[in-house]
Amino acid sequence: MSSEESAGPAHSPGYEIVYPQTSLSTEKKERILANLQKIVGKRNVSCREIDRLSYSRDYWPIALRWMLEGKVPALPDFVVWPETTDHISHIVRIASEEKIPVVPFGEGSGVLGGAIPVQGGIVLDMKKMSAVLTLNDDNLTITVQPGINGMNLERFLNQKGYTMGHIPQSLYCSTVGGWLGCRAAGQFSTKYGKIDDILISLEAVLPQGTIIRSKPVPKSSTCPRIDTLLLGAEGTLGVITEATFKIWPYPEKRALQSYAFSTLKDGLESVRTILRRGIFPAVVRLYDQAETERHFYSTKKARGKCILILVEEGDRELVDLEEAVSHTVCTDHGGFPTGEAPAAHWMETRFNVKEISEFTPRDVVFDTIEVSVMWDKSMELYQSVISAMKSIEGVIIASAHASHFYPQGVCFYFTFGGTSLTGSPTDFYETVWNAAMKACLNAGGSISHHHGIGILRSRWIREELGPSHDILKSIKKALDPENVMNPGKMGL
Amino acid sequence: MLEEFKKYLWVAKAISRLTLSTQKEVVIRFLTAKKKYLPEDNPKAQVEDILKCALCPNMCRFDCPVLQAAKSETYSPAGRARIAYLLEMGRVSSHDAVELMYACAACSACQQWCPFDFSVDDLLMGVRRDLVDRNLVPETLMDIKDQIVRTRTIYQNSRTSLGLEPRKADILYVAGCTVLNKERIIAQTAMKILEKAGITVTTLPEEWCCGAPLNLLGFEDDFKKFAAHNADSIKKSGCKKMICSCPECVYTFKEVYAKEGHPLQVEVMHTSEYFLELIEQGKIQFKELQRDLVYHDPCVLARKLHITEQPRKVLEAIPGVSVKEPPLTKEHTRCCGIGGLLAITNPELSVTLLRARDSELCKLADTVVTACPACKIAFKRTRNAESRDLSEIVLEGMN
Repeated sequence: MSSEESAGPAHSPGYEIVYPQTSLSTEKKERILANLQKIVGKRNVSCREIDRLSYSRDYWPIALRWMLEGKVPALPDFVVWPETTDHISHIVRIASEEKIPVVPFGEGSGVLGGAIPVQGGIVLDMKKMSAVLTLNDDNLTITVQPGINGMNLERFLNQKGYTMGHIPQSLYCSTVGGWLGCRAAGQFSTKYGKIDDILISLEAVLPQGTIIRSKPVPKSSTCPRIDTLLLGAEGTLGVITEATFKIWPYPEKRALQSYAFSTLKDGLESVRTILRRGIFPAVVRLYDQAETERHFYSTKKARGKCILILVEEGDRELVDLEEAVSHTVCTDHGGFPTGEAPAAHWMETRFNVKEISEFTPRDVVFDTIEVSVMWDKSMELYQSVISAMKSIEGVIIASAHASHFYPQGVCFYFTFGGTSLTGSPTDFYETVWNAAMKACLNAGGSISHHHGIGILRSRWIREELGPSHDILKSIKKALDPENVMNPGKMGL
Repeated sequence: MLEEFKKYLWVAKAISRLTLSTQKEVVIRFLTAKKKYLPEDNPKAQVEDILKCALCPNMCRFDCPVLQAAKSETYSPAGRARIAYLLEMGRVSSHDAVELMYACAACSACQQWCPFDFSVDDLLMGVRRDLVDRNLVPETLMDIKDQIVRTRTIYQNSRTSLGLEPRKADILYVAGCTVLNKERIIAQTAMKILEKAGITVTTLPEEWCCGAPLNLLGFEDDFKKFAAHNADSIKKSGCKKMICSCPECVYTFKEVYAKEGHPLQVEVMHTSEYFLELIEQGKIQFKELQRDLVYHDPCVLARKLHITEQPRKVLEAIPGVSVKEPPLTKEHTRCCGIGGLLAITNPELSVTLLRARDSELCKLADTVVTACPACKIAFKRTRNAESRDLSEIVLEGMN
């Protein structure tokens, strides 16, 4: 279904390309196509317009809006489906020789444009490398290929009596490779950790074709880790081809709790205390007044308040203890128990992603911004980012919840929605983002907790990393001298 | 309605906090903006819904058998919706884009995960109707339409009856094209079961296709002609209850005919439902039958007709029969590859889907039992396990 004998036309005239690139010469295109077909077979390479269009985007909200305006973010020249690590090694060698980009692609759920092929080239769709390789009960590990879909992996584990504990909202529509590339976090991360914590080891192809494998051990003290350089690299430093993760026995018991607090500060203080006591509920979510009203409108006792959702899971005795301690701490901090229902409602609706579909065609621009901050600056950051977003003309809503917690700090997940009253929707979008990012940096926060950088956040990455960004550039130059791996991202 | 109002109260409240002039601008845009993004002509496709699907992060993708087989974004639910949107807006027009509109197993697996309750096959059906109107239907599919209209069945054997003399009876058995032309054993066993149960049953002198393939392919007018003819024939038969072996026929007669203005005045049942009724009335009785089986839920039966318990109860009523459950079962079943005419529109994908489902089933038992003739044919093709219809097992149990 995907093979094509010859390289097709650049594009039909029915749409405009936001990131146009110089077309490859016909001769070069034919040569690269022939080489790619030689490596992966004809059926695993496509130049068809419908395939190139399908890989022109990810889930960056503003780029989705462009579709309505008759625009396409960027078109790759080729879409390739490798089936083995060797395939990828050969493909990146050709890309280096021909100096054309390679953009790894999982399932395109990234929200910052990280998978958009802004300079064309080869999109490397990893879906044909989606096998479960080994499940080790003694070690409590699973080894998989990176193209496996999150829900299909979790379903497999659940059937065998385990969980990976990594349950992002994108579980249904993202891959393991995407999680690693963006340093993702799941909704149950306060207990199980983020993907960085869950990873044991990996195999990867570096930009010049070298294959590296790290050893699956719980910990080693053998020089700096090279493999983890690829975490959060969004495909700019290589392609992850295999990964071994921690897994857990499927929880014996799950407890649902919720509490309403008069202020966000009271709620944050409760969670901080719970974690200091050594209790790590799997899910901890604290909503400000605006989001409590939006998501928990049927919980009367939470009206005008901030609701806290807790989900504890695991061994029955431990869960009972965690539930009891959490209850005591929350009520001691003025939390009013609102029962299981709000937490059950969250469990039921946590994968309902409708806002972009519902509001984009109504010219309302929506997005979410997740940042992290230490406890002592948390309220300051929350207030300054909300104020900054609200100060932009056209913003209708600006709200947040805290979605991931640590003994040292918290991740805030902001939502804004509004409409451009003067300039273009894209200008409005960028203005709100700019205000939020500046407020975050001024308050001492990190500009991304788990969505990554992509195209959008590249403009603030220098300010975020400082001189470390130069080091990152040097590493990139050393590994990828021709800059073929996902160029145009992360300020690299 | 009240619940919907409560759900979106926050939007109204947020807007009320804006200045009056901003409020006016926001409300006007909110109510009118979408017109800009929809086709100006009046397509049959629900383009507004297609757009919502195209703007979704593909939350159903993990359960879409077509995507899981194709492993390409183009074949993802939202990917197909996106190309459908571009087609409807006239921004793409290639043959590939048109062909993609038929790459769906019509299994509705997507619907169970969709926050809007959409099914990709429903969305694509509207696009296919527009393709008919615009004379853009691929030639092979036009040939299929012509064949159905000419011979009144989708199969080239062109058999349209069981060859039985119609008689006066309350129960009408309709075999369906697939049973008549490819799996007559299903009709023979079903008729024998009914006879042994003491049920007087009649058949139609000539069975026209229920029209499901015409409807699926977007040939709305031809479908309506078939629906009108069948509604009339069924009425003339004088029956009170109609029994079908094919879930697609049941769904079409029961749900689609009503939707398209030809509601049937008789009760329509799938054989699994009727057999269970007869078992409960004591009219079907079993001897011991030592059999290990795995039951495969046909997509249409499980997800569109919500019939999952009845076939299991029928099998469990036979002493000695052990029914295994695959991991993806009941409403979470996975397509056999034949659904949505995929074996015709995209044979390569169809075979990949079949292999994936077959490998899950064959691990569990040597016999796969299903309640759909098309599924039975699919599993017969792999030859990895014995493939049987529910009727065949029921009759074995009665003997």
